[in-house]
Amino acid sequence: MFMANKAAVFGAGLMIVILFVSYILPLFFSADKFAYAGKRHTAPFTDGGPLLGTDYLGRDVALIVMHGGSTTLEVAGFAALLIVTVGALIGALAGYYGGIIDRTLMKVTEFFQVLPGLLFALVVVALFGASTTTIVLAIGVISWPPIARQTRSEFLKQKNLEYVKAARSIGASNARIILLTILPNTLPVLIVQATLTMGAAILFEAGLAFLGLGDPDSLSWGYYVGLNRQYFLVNWWGVTFPGLMVFLTVLSLSLIGDGIQDAINPKLRGR
Amino acid sequence: MADKPLLSIRNLTVRFGTFTALKDLSFDLYPGKTTAVVGESGSGKSVTALSVMRLVTLGTRAEIDSGEILFQRKDGSEIDLIKASEREMRDIRGNEISMVFQEPLTSLNPVYTTGNQVIEAIQLHQGLSKQEAYSKALEMYEMVRIPRAEKVLSDYPHQLSGGMRQRVMIAMALSCDPKLLIADEPTTALDVTIQAQMLGLMKDLQDQTGASVMLITHDMGVVAEVADDIVVMKRSRVVETGTVYDIFEKPTAKYTQALLASIPRLGSMTGKTEPELFDLVQEEDE
Amino acid sequence: MKAVAVKILESFLLILAVIVFNFVLVHLAPGDVVDALSSGGLGDAREEQNELIREQIGLDQPFHVQLFTYVGNVLTGDFGWSPIGNKPVLEMIAPRIFPTLLLALSALTFAVLIGVTIGSIAARHPTSFFSAGLTVFALIGFAMPVFWTGILLLLVFGVWLEWLPIAGMNDLRLANDAPFVERALDTVRHLILPTISLGVIFLASYARLSRASMLEVLQSDYIRTARAKGLSEGPVMIKHALRNAVIPIITILGMEFGVLLSGAILVETVFNWPGLGRLAFEAVLTRDTNVLLAILTMVSATVILANLFTDIVYRLVDPRIRIEGA
Repeated sequence: MFMANKAAVFGAGLMIVILFVSYILPLFFSADKFAYAGKRHTAPFTDGGPLLGTDYLGRDVALIVMHGGSTTLEVAGFAALLIVTVGALIGALAGYYGGIIDRTLMKVTEFFQVLPGLLFALVVVALFGASTTTIVLAIGVISWPPIARQTRSEFLKQKNLEYVKAARSIGASNARIILLTILPNTLPVLIVQATLTMGAAILFEAGLAFLGLGDPDSLSWGYYVGLNRQYFLVNWWGVTFPGLMVFLTVLSLSLIGDGIQDAINPKLRGR
Repeated sequence: MADKPLLSIRNLTVRFGTFTALKDLSFDLYPGKTTAVVGESGSGKSVTALSVMRLVTLGTRAEIDSGEILFQRKDGSEIDLIKASEREMRDIRGNEISMVFQEPLTSLNPVYTTGNQVIEAIQLHQGLSKQEAYSKALEMYEMVRIPRAEKVLSDYPHQLSGGMRQRVMIAMALSCDPKLLIADEPTTALDVTIQAQMLGLMKDLQDQTGASVMLITHDMGVVAEVADDIVVMKRSRVVETGTVYDIFEKPTAKYTQALLASIPRLGSMTGKTEPELFDLVQEEDE
Repeated sequence: MKAVAVKILESFLLILAVIVFNFVLVHLAPGDVVDALSSGGLGDAREEQNELIREQIGLDQPFHVQLFTYVGNVLTGDFGWSPIGNKPVLEMIAPRIFPTLLLALSALTFAVLIGVTIGSIAARHPTSFFSAGLTVFALIGFAMPVFWTGILLLLVFGVWLEWLPIAGMNDLRLANDAPFVERALDTVRHLILPTISLGVIFLASYARLSRASMLEVLQSDYIRTARAKGLSEGPVMIKHALRNAVIPIITILGMEFGVLLSGAILVETVFNWPGLGRLAFEAVLTRDTNVLLAILTMVSATVILANLFTDIVYRLVDPRIRIEGA
């Protein structure tokens, strides 16, 4: 079913290319990415110059973009993992137990939902320093509410179905029912959400890094756009190519997420 | 049957893609009479109604393939509703031919008061001022026996019961004094006691206004109660037509006999939103 | 309207919670304001001096006393002192509020108006090429990083085509005493590109959402009733369909306001727009915590109020909620 969706297959293909560029290609181009590679602001596709041109310090844009992928993908990957775990857990507890637990957790969810994400992350990073851990935590802490809501509504739907009653009647504990009985049945929804969350986390990381909150040694895509921004009047390629990578990565994740969604629930197709 | 028919459907064929929803359909409706169109689910009854309103092609894939629907207008002229311009149709809809639907719960717009929706229809066709239209709407509400009519005018649909909403729909349908009222399963979604009231009301209103009624139903009990003529449909075609006496006394088609054999008591279909298939019906064509 | 009263109370409590949360956050952070700022003396002498300052500004008080003082201060509009700007934080923030609101509301209006229009047209022709293209367009809109869209728009329309200004809110050559209309028109010209960059993320999702919701509404019985009445397609779409179709969009508008203001930080940075977002960016560079916290509080409060506002609008548009909630 997934393969029948052309857009999703395109997305998956795009993702393979991105992973190849970010993880396999750097093995073959291990030259120092900070090294001088040619005259400053050499335009891309010029004879003798680096493929994607050079930046304001004469560094190879293609080389830096290639090496920047893993940073972006790792920060976003860990953040997405954190978001889905926290969101699923809180949503599961709220949906399963209901009553006062549900109301309290939903108030907490609402609270985190009104905090403006990027601004909150700026404050956290300003207070606790711009390490990878802080950035992952900042993105994670602020982005879980939508997942929690989704998981909660799934749990509300599932918890009174026959198979859950059956599990209860044989004396399964609550923890067992939540984790081993209901959660696996919400997985399709969670996988779609995780894919889309990963895309959102990449945009989040890129935004933070663009504002200068990132590791200056690893130069993630967003960070590199931020560095080149001052020179965009004379050097359009320095901002265009790293941004393009962010765009393509998020696009491929959205296409994959949509594809899985269609495969799970064909009725929603085209909506 | 000496009168000239008010509405004459001639060889009407309607398709949804490759599916033929109506095949070579012909029958007549006479002034002041109630004609029941009966048949099982999917026999094409509702498509017939929507074709007369020419609403069947709006927002769907349906196409009117061939045929004509001749209608005697208020001004005495005759018009073919298939060939009429969209402008002429808009002038006819709600004014000369109006329609009451099966689901009173969803047939009124939830975000406007009932009065707003009835007044809209009155103003559209009668060129009255807001004040005059309001008085007319109030009069219509009283005519369909809505208690505390003035309050109901300013109520939203969700504040009213199903029966009350159907009365609003009927008031709206009759507000422009149409020559033909099409009622598509108007009582099916209602409680049994309300059903009887509603049928009584429709009969009275018909006597008062002299309008013809095309009553679409699967409930033979209802047919016996109110119809003058009957059109029996099965699988997109007309099987048999005749007066209520002819059909009830000597049904010729095997299918009609089966329908009659399964006559339920009035109201026994309550709570079922879809007509049921009759078990006695043979699957071979007549 | 009891339900609305409860909502207002809840909103106030949420704002309070944000303020408390900010305070706790600062407390958890390593070091304090005094460490960060003190410059006088060395070793013990410095430590001694710092203790004195802490006593003066109340940092030696127990946690709960400090908390109450902080909350009280913030509620009366006292966000503390900005050592970087060398003036009260409130004075730094105040002139930045209008530009940000202008940008945010302009982007939102752009996204809602164009999005709903596109979505409705697509719903009228659900099998058309245009309708299919909308899904692709929505995915692309979501995937473009805001700051990148901004820079590309600047490059194309500001630098290469030279149609629109590339930075700020007003032309620097414009005299301060220029007539109001001239200033306003100049601001509008400066507003176009930031509005598009920020609005485009929402534009795509609103178009998609209103298409889905319009498709559902157009199938409904009351639309058939409206047509059976003899109404032409114009009033059917505008009076009967649209109002029902926008209900789901209104419900998410309030929540999206936070995303909108977050995006504004990036857009303001790209376009040198003199708003709160640009100030936040500068405050991060200079580690001006007080300013950052004040902006976080103000923006959160704005999001909460926007939620309250959309809740009320939702009640006005949908009588089912209005009357049951009464």
